[in-house]
Amino acid sequence: MTWSWAWRDLFRHRGRTLLALLGVGVSAALLLDMMMLSGGIERSFERLLLSRGYQLRVSPSGTLPFDTEATVGDVTALVSGLRADPEVEDAGAILGLAVQAKSAAGTAVSLVGYGVQPEAQGIYVLESGRDITPGDSNGVVLGLPAATQLGASVGDTLRFFGRLDPQTAAPGAERSLVVRGVVRFLYDARDQPSVALTLDVARWLAGPAFRDRASVLMVRVAEGPAPATVAARLQREWPAVGISSVDDLVVQFRLRLTYFRQLSLILGAIALVVTVLLVGTLLTITVHERLPEIATLRALGVARRTILLQVLAQGAVLTVGGGMLGLVLGLITARWLDTILTAFPGLPASVSFFVAAPRPLALAALTLALTGLLAGLWPAWQAARAPIAHTLRQEAT
Amino acid sequence: MTDVLVARDLVKEFPLNERRVTALRGVSLTVAEGDYCAIVGPSGSGKSTLLTLLGGLDLPTSGSVELMGTATAGLADRALTRLRLERIGFVFQRFHLLPVLTARENVELPMAELGLGRQERRARADELLDYVGLAGRTTHRVTQLSGGEMQRVAIARALANEPALILADEPTGELDATTGGEILALFRRLHADGTTLVVVTHDDRLAAEAGRVVRMQDGRIVTE
Repeated sequence: MTWSWAWRDLFRHRGRTLLALLGVGVSAALLLDMMMLSGGIERSFERLLLSRGYQLRVSPSGTLPFDTEATVGDVTALVSGLRADPEVEDAGAILGLAVQAKSAAGTAVSLVGYGVQPEAQGIYVLESGRDITPGDSNGVVLGLPAATQLGASVGDTLRFFGRLDPQTAAPGAERSLVVRGVVRFLYDARDQPSVALTLDVARWLAGPAFRDRASVLMVRVAEGPAPATVAARLQREWPAVGISSVDDLVVQFRLRLTYFRQLSLILGAIALVVTVLLVGTLLTITVHERLPEIATLRALGVARRTILLQVLAQGAVLTVGGGMLGLVLGLITARWLDTILTAFPGLPASVSFFVAAPRPLALAALTLALTGLLAGLWPAWQAARAPIAHTLRQEAT
Repeated sequence: MTDVLVARDLVKEFPLNERRVTALRGVSLTVAEGDYCAIVGPSGSGKSTLLTLLGGLDLPTSGSVELMGTATAGLADRALTRLRLERIGFVFQRFHLLPVLTARENVELPMAELGLGRQERRARADELLDYVGLAGRTTHRVTQLSGGEMQRVAIARALANEPALILADEPTGELDATTGGEILALFRRLHADGTTLVVVTHDDRLAAEAGRVVRMQDGRIVTE
């Protein structure tokens, strides 16, 4: 019965309680978003790096893949050596280059080109048509933005231009290629127009300076050994290049994202403080308004413990109710913010800043519940310790 | 007759602006089972303070109170709270009902705290509301009731756990003469049914109905 009273009492001032729920909801949404942000991009980045099953990256020593325009040399020997390693299942080289192509309307479109070894590539997935094959010297696959900008579809023949002059963009090489298929590039920024062709064709378009060179190599480790162990051993065998496992890359990525983690920590802490203040203030006001009723209950023989638990329960209801509202709000705002943040130039469109993993969700819920409990402690203690006779006497005068 | 309540040499002091005010100056009172005792006196004479000490709502500065043979001074809060729940019924001047609950729920409240089952307490609440003349108002919110009806609900609530003693503080203080008369009649009936009553009042009619009248002045009992 006293619980029924506590429940109904909470909604005696509906407007105030609903505003408090909304306030807790907004704080909870912010907390959830910050929890998702603090580790979300790392998880998303790791998932992306492993999406095609390649656990190692080989890049010019001291650089991260595609972080600079530096390239790796002696790629044929390196790929052969890696493929011959018993702990390596597969390896393939990728060369990034700038190319142009003529659209159906006759205008030149600047493109990002990837020279790949089609039998071991991990940068795109086929969407329609067919893939290029090893030794295909006339084929190309287009990303959807490139296909759209070029007005091209599967089977069309396009003129491609390479060795672009850095000042005039005048081409030094030209080649006709047939569109074999349309693909989705995994590491591309949103709306980035990209194409993939065989490594040999790409090198020919890039010029003699890129003979037997690649921007990065992707390595798939055979089942059994830990990728980090294999990476360390291969690094010792090939000291001229940098060999990193996905774990290493995530660590590097994390270092670059310290700013995001600090930001999320500060905003998350602010959200918690706001929740404590909001719930604590509301409960304190409610308790003070109800002191005569609480004193009456105590006079009738209701135990201190019951009063204490009731006020704590009211705090819990506000926090849990607000938390549920915050979950919905948080997921909606996370999606919206993700759309904004992933539109940053140069950032892979498939990376998410906010990832709803069970652990951050559970952690946010637990933190919020503890916050609600903390916020209710002081008003609950005040309610339980209210002097009965004094309170009733004051009410009567 | 068994003594329900024995108070000896009660002194109560309150701090007020860095000095101490003495509200009770050595009050002794014994209430036997079945008594109907009215405590009267001018405002500030210490009547209500005495009632809070008798009911275990506050502790005396010195002196002792024994309720059904149990001294309140040595009891922990939990035990004192339990004693109030089981043995004392309170009726206040301003009713002190819980406005978000219905008349029946207000009456059920002390029984719920005692641990009675829903069916049992509902049946008893209805019985008590019928006893105080509110059989048709059980599901009304107390805010929908008149002052007299609210005081009847408060009396029904005081009777909920079949207490050995009812303590009432100015039970007609907020009511007009007619409604106050109805409450007087109810107290008369309670007394006739064997309930032990201690009532603090300014109401001469109520005092006249009580078998015992204790008159207080300046924190002392002056006549009995």
